[in-house]
Amino acid sequence: MNGPETAVLPAGIAWGILGAFSVLWVFLGWYLGRRARTVDDYMLAGRNVGLALATATAMATWVTTNTTMAAPQFALQLGIWGMVGYALGSVGLILFAPLAGRIRRLMPGGFTSGDFIRLRYGNTAWRVFLVISLIYGLGWLISLGMAGGVLIEALAGIDYRVGMSVILFICVLYTLLGGLRAVIGTDFVQTILILVGLVILAWLVIAQVGFGEIHVTVSEQRPELLNLLFPAAIMFLFNNLLFGVGEIFHSNVWWSRAFAFGRGVGKRAYLMAGLLWMPIPIVAGFIALATPALGINVPGADMVGPLVAGELLGLAGAIIVFIVVFSALASSVDSVLAATSDLVTRDIYKGHLRRQAGEREVYLAAKTIVVVLGTVTWALCMLRLGTLGAVLQFLGAFVASTIMPIVAGLYWRRTNPWGVIAAMVLGTVIGLYSYFAIGFYVAALVSAAISMALVLVTTWLWPRDFQWASLREEPLRG
Amino acid sequence: MTLSVSAFTWLVSIATVVTTLSPLLLIGLFIRDLRRGTLW
Repeated sequence: MNGPETAVLPAGIAWGILGAFSVLWVFLGWYLGRRARTVDDYMLAGRNVGLALATATAMATWVTTNTTMAAPQFALQLGIWGMVGYALGSVGLILFAPLAGRIRRLMPGGFTSGDFIRLRYGNTAWRVFLVISLIYGLGWLISLGMAGGVLIEALAGIDYRVGMSVILFICVLYTLLGGLRAVIGTDFVQTILILVGLVILAWLVIAQVGFGEIHVTVSEQRPELLNLLFPAAIMFLFNNLLFGVGEIFHSNVWWSRAFAFGRGVGKRAYLMAGLLWMPIPIVAGFIALATPALGINVPGADMVGPLVAGELLGLAGAIIVFIVVFSALASSVDSVLAATSDLVTRDIYKGHLRRQAGEREVYLAAKTIVVVLGTVTWALCMLRLGTLGAVLQFLGAFVASTIMPIVAGLYWRRTNPWGVIAAMVLGTVIGLYSYFAIGFYVAALVSAAISMALVLVTTWLWPRDFQWASLREEPLRG
Repeated sequence: MTLSVSAFTWLVSIATVVTTLSPLLLIGLFIRDLRRGTLW
């Protein structure tokens, strides 16, 4: 369905843009990472990232192709609450701000979210958490890789598999060269490109179509999209809020940044990134709501954003969207790739397979794992499973079960570790059941509720004591 | 219960203005950190 008949960008121009930006990202990756010699340098960018780069990397990572493509998709499925619900994904960033400060204080030598769970709750909880976290990391990578392939096919008619392969290859290459320093440095440039491109499109939609016409056409053709009492959409709003909180609270993408940001930077950076991110899905969703007014026939829900821009602005729109989504894609793929490979390196390789591994071995293992993870993601993206939204919401059941264990672990000394294990396992299982039995929009909601109840009840009935100082232990040193 | 055209306009306008100002703020912060030597 997504063949050259929908293409609005000549393949030659698309390849030119891909080539130019690929050279830029790879050069930046090499340049910024050229002095990295230690695991701290490679995995955590030297642990002293400043406010500007910290804020931009948090924003860029959270502005994914899922934001620029799935937000329009949700706007057309669930209307105004779809846009607002997606925007509430920023609550996770805002709420993580105080946690980032506390994480840095409690674990000045920490590397991963897995380190925290292991030291706080013990090995069994650590392994359950790793399963959830790795499924999520891989799922997110797959949804991003798929988004890249879908975009290139929709815009330029380049085969899905070819476009997806090129994008993953470039991201793996510069992440491999520069580690987290390369990821954060390129994120800054990518954030600026994303924001400028999105703003140009939004102002052009406002100027060429206008609020009144969009509102009238949507009211006539799709009145449910402007209905403030659209039940499924309201469920989606709360579900997406909890999904976002769960994603950020548990994921090593955000924990590794909490460890990497300079002292006192994390709290301000996450707060600012959340506030600046919030309006982005509303702007992206608004552009999608212009489709009825423009009379665009959308052949696939994933392609709403690119088609609107192409239809409205022709070649210039297609080029802008291409650059925006390529930047959004790269900024997220590199982050998830780096953070997930850190988790595999520290918690699987060093934590389970090679406990005696020294600094040099871990450093080389980290680079190898980036390549292996990129290859596994590529192989799974070739299968092209489901739509972006479906892949994302499926993961909600997993991540929402970790919200209460993380928060309670950071702030509540008496949290029961076995209650935490039960919370993560049963929250995920019942959340997944709800996903299939009721709908995608309740998976995270049910998972978070079950998990919270179990942590509260078990800790109330069987409280355990914990010494915060034990989190300062140097994790898994060789 | 339908969202009115004025509420729709306000919502999207505020979101667009904030998104417009974001890159300027980030570039300003970058220049400040660069001058102070606190980028990394």
